[in-house]
Amino acid sequence: MTAKLVVEGLSHHYPDEYTGIDVHALDDISLEVEEGELVSVVGPSGCGKSTLLNILAGLLPYRVGTATVDGIRIEGPGPDRGVVFQEHAILPWRTVNKNIGHGLEIKRMPRDQIAKRVQEFVNLVGLAGFEDKYPHELSGGMKQRCAVARTLCADPVIMLMDEPFAAVDAQTRITLQEELNRIAMATKKTILFITHSVDEAAFLADRCFVFSARPGRLKAIVDINIPRGDRIWSDMNANADFLAARDEILKLVREEVSVATEE
Amino acid sequence: MQQRNDATGTQGPGLGWRINKLLQLDAMNLVILVIAVYIIWSVISALIDNPARYLPSPIAVAMSSVDMLYKGLLPSYFGDTLVRLIFGSAIGLILGIPFGLLLGINRTVADMFHPIMNFFQSVSGIAIFPIIVVWWGNSDKTIFAVILYTAFFPIAFNVLSGVREIPIRYISAARTLGASRYQIIKDVLFPGAMPHIATGSRLSIGFAWRAVIAGEMLAGRQGLGWMIFTGQDADNTAEVILGMVMIGVTWIILDHYLLRPMEADTIERWGLVQR
Ligand SMILES: Nc1ncnc2c1ncn2[C@@H]1O[C@H](COP(=O)(O)OP(=O)(O)OP(=O)(O)O)[C@@H](O)[C@H]1O
Ligand SMILES: [Mg+2]
Repeated sequence: MTAKLVVEGLSHHYPDEYTGIDVHALDDISLEVEEGELVSVVGPSGCGKSTLLNILAGLLPYRVGTATVDGIRIEGPGPDRGVVFQEHAILPWRTVNKNIGHGLEIKRMPRDQIAKRVQEFVNLVGLAGFEDKYPHELSGGMKQRCAVARTLCADPVIMLMDEPFAAVDAQTRITLQEELNRIAMATKKTILFITHSVDEAAFLADRCFVFSARPGRLKAIVDINIPRGDRIWSDMNANADFLAARDEILKLVREEVSVATEE
Repeated sequence: MQQRNDATGTQGPGLGWRINKLLQLDAMNLVILVIAVYIIWSVISALIDNPARYLPSPIAVAMSSVDMLYKGLLPSYFGDTLVRLIFGSAIGLILGIPFGLLLGINRTVADMFHPIMNFFQSVSGIAIFPIIVVWWGNSDKTIFAVILYTAFFPIAFNVLSGVREIPIRYISAARTLGASRYQIIKDVLFPGAMPHIATGSRLSIGFAWRAVIAGEMLAGRQGLGWMIFTGQDADNTAEVILGMVMIGVTWIILDHYLLRPMEADTIERWGLVQR
């Protein structure tokens, strides 16, 4: 059985028309994500994580290497792959409710069913009471939670998440991480999760991909073999597997960050 | 259109409340302004020689309107002008908004059309009047064509620019949710261009209003423009001023009580413009 998501020899350059010097964002990335697996991606700022996500989302055309879902080359976006963008992209002219239900509306689900499902996800991300607010009336973290709920509500098979909890307060972040863990356990979704937080990467992932400084290469893969049911933040400080994985990722990331800042 | 209904929803103050507030606020200012204008106007009119020809007093203008009302000309002229404005600008907007949206979808097409649109929106309706008269003579058709032309380009140009300013990530987000081309237009491009649609509409209707008056003066047989034109011919300055006042007052009412509230109910509600 082949993996759900396969990337082979993927490289990407951004051309720069003004200076003529291309930015080499990704270099020869090869990785696989199994069906139902949650992988995290960490690496220094500017190493090409968002670039990889955009390619997988089908939003960025690529020439060198291949990226496939179920063996089919990614050529454009599709509802099988849900995306939470680094810069939240909820629509200013839609209320919280309407944003979260947008994916279902696009799929032409009946209104009453949409309303029911939307309510579930509004509660899940703690936006109850704000259903009819517009994004400009929300805080940064609330917008981000709205964006996460929108993607979850559309129920894609693969979720691509770009630092979705970065702008959220510590307490909410813990809740959302545990919730995402529960969703991963319950729904068997395939999830690629980009983060700057080593703790988050270790807590959520089955495997963690550590990227090198730009041009981004896959530097190492750290396995984290903790059963999903055991992943509760209050137990983590006593969990040797978690602590070992976290320290390993931290060490790998530190080496790269120092490379990136010495440049 | 569905978007607008959603936005007005049940939340927040309703349209009635808004209009009420506008009326209260304006009432005081308006009274003071009208009294001031009345006094200055009366004084100047009283000081000059031959005011009937150069600047009739407000009372004389009011008398002239009573006279015209009596003859039934004022309602009929006013009605003609309004109908022209409403038809001309409505059709201009109905054609211009989709045209701008469609051009805006494709960046290459948009870039190609941008200078052409810019060209036409700068050549005012008055400037194309002579050539239309050459084609169709002094007729209603000519007036209508000029109004349509005047209304079309500002709105189309504004919508085109509006679509191009929508952040790509909104379009990307809709695409990853599986939106079709039509759904992207309906859910992202149309509402996203709303601030420009609102300002474009106001520009279009404002220009159309001027074009109506100018058109009636140059090629008409009825309407407020025609009334001003014939008033001058007949040395009836009071009638000329009456026409001018009607034009200005109509615009203020239209802008303040129709166009502005429409803007407030959409783009301000969405936080797309600063109050
Ligand atoms: N649209 C673009 N055009 C040109 N260059 C780009 C573009 N997007 C990203 N880059 C460049 O590609 C490199 C990788 O960017 P990317 O956004 O993928 O990094 P990242 O790993 O997501 O960083 P961060 O952790 O800060 O979000 C950067 O050097 C950036 O300047
Ligand atoms: Mg990024």
